[in-house]
Amino acid sequence: MRWEGHRRIWIWTVLAVGSLIAGVSRLAPAIGDEPTFATGYRIAVHGVSPERPSCSSCHQQNGAGQPDVGIPRLAGLNSSYIAAQLEYFATGARHDPVMSPYAAMLTPVQRQAVADYFASLPVPEQPDLAQASAARVDRGRTLFLDGDYRTGLLSCSQCHGRTGLGVGDFSPQLAGQSADYVAQKLHQWQSGDPRDPKGSFMRAEASHLTQSEIAALAAFVSSLQGKETGKP
Amino acid sequence: MKKSTIRKMVVLAIVAVGVAGVTVWKNLPFTQRTGARSFQPPPDSAIPAGKFGDVVRFGEQIFRDPATYAAPFVGNQLRCSNCHLETGRQGGASPMWAAYTAYPAYRSKNGHVNSFEERLQGCFRYSMNGKAPKLGDPVLVALESYSYFLAKGLPTDETAPGRGFPALPKPPLPADYARGSEVYAQNCASCHGAQGLGQSSGGQVVFPPLWGPRSYNWGAGMTSIKDAAEFIHANMPLGLGGMLSAQQSWDVAAFINSQVRPQDPRFNGDVEQTRKKYHDSPYSMYGRTVNGAVLGEPAFTPPAGTVPAGTDTGPVEAN
Repeated sequence: MRWEGHRRIWIWTVLAVGSLIAGVSRLAPAIGDEPTFATGYRIAVHGVSPERPSCSSCHQQNGAGQPDVGIPRLAGLNSSYIAAQLEYFATGARHDPVMSPYAAMLTPVQRQAVADYFASLPVPEQPDLAQASAARVDRGRTLFLDGDYRTGLLSCSQCHGRTGLGVGDFSPQLAGQSADYVAQKLHQWQSGDPRDPKGSFMRAEASHLTQSEIAALAAFVSSLQGKETGKP
Repeated sequence: MKKSTIRKMVVLAIVAVGVAGVTVWKNLPFTQRTGARSFQPPPDSAIPAGKFGDVVRFGEQIFRDPATYAAPFVGNQLRCSNCHLETGRQGGASPMWAAYTAYPAYRSKNGHVNSFEERLQGCFRYSMNGKAPKLGDPVLVALESYSYFLAKGLPTDETAPGRGFPALPKPPLPADYARGSEVYAQNCASCHGAQGLGQSSGGQVVFPPLWGPRSYNWGAGMTSIKDAAEFIHANMPLGLGGMLSAQQSWDVAAFINSQVRPQDPRFNGDVEQTRKKYHDSPYSMYGRTVNGAVLGEPAFTPPAGTVPAGTDTGPVEAN
């Protein structure tokens, strides 16, 4: 009898604890079933793990990034572009020692939510960090809009648009990005690293650039105003 | 220094020069690698000052943005520079300098000797799905002036290296729609869109539509699977010309040219007759049945010559 009673309590305890675990684990994905703004905001600002800093620790809550240390602006980028890059980081198709483990912690829905969040933010005013000369910006403008048929460089505007606003998940918005980050990426492509599965385009274009042309393009791009933003 | 050391250094130097040469060669545009281009057109900075230079510059503006600078004659979302890459300067992408020195010329398309201006009229009528400017129209004069400027120093020659698109051998297998749709999805759709309708940025068309009502019409040279395959193989994906195999280029050209696009302006009311008269070629899909529909059938074929309302120089239809 005593044994029977103990067994009953034991079974009930197992059932109770089990259903509690099942309930909680069912609840957890339920929070992020839809890529809602709230989910995106929570991930961006609070992160998904108490041991890890959030996106905003580096990219800032307003998505401005930290131009002086080459952390890119995310505010106003196309959400499909951000989501695609997060997927590349998560799957190893694009590697970055900082970003890869973060992206891998997120579910596809969470990646979309946080992409939507940053895409919805207005592009912050770009602090004038580059201090580029007018001549350098002009040189960058010519390369950006016309390319250079003598070296085989296509115009950047042919994919990113004449105002640098980009197209969908293919060509990111460049307007409002910092000169440091743009130069850093162009150097990466020029070194032969495709960066991501669609990087062969930029690797080909960067191979046509000289160091002073990279500086000129970076200066011009950072001078573009990313006004029309927030649309995926 | 020992003789063997010198010998080693010489060998090393030869290898280094070889590697550097290959690196430079690999970074050249495909058409340069294949030796298709030998002529260097002048840069913008060489456009002369004065009245003539102004007209050359206007021609280049039209070339980049015909919908703005030649609006009455443009019926779609294409730019001259979408096919004539690098603003008409790139060899292997129908450069304007090579076209300029090849005219006047007899054309089987219309059965007589065409002046350069008349050839330009054809571009507006077919490739731009618009209306041909009258001979002597400032738009044609500007485009002719720009082309003349680009051809400076090039002798009159209908076979200048780099003219048109580089010839492409026939693929091992006949061009195939289904294989082409795969090639398209993997290599073209991210820019030109899954439906081929192109994509915009900031309200401006960035990636041109390849079919549908805002692309080239059934009279355009690009509707030839052969021409399209040659263009694609040499120049697409943009900046990565030569990436697709000959087979992939032919397949995707067949796929693109088996889609709905605006009517041939020479359409006489009968698809079969129009095919016989103007499309009697294995490279044209006009009048052929694809996915259960006859291409060119008026019921689902957008009209030819759809210039924007209010800009038509001819009689305007009432709404």
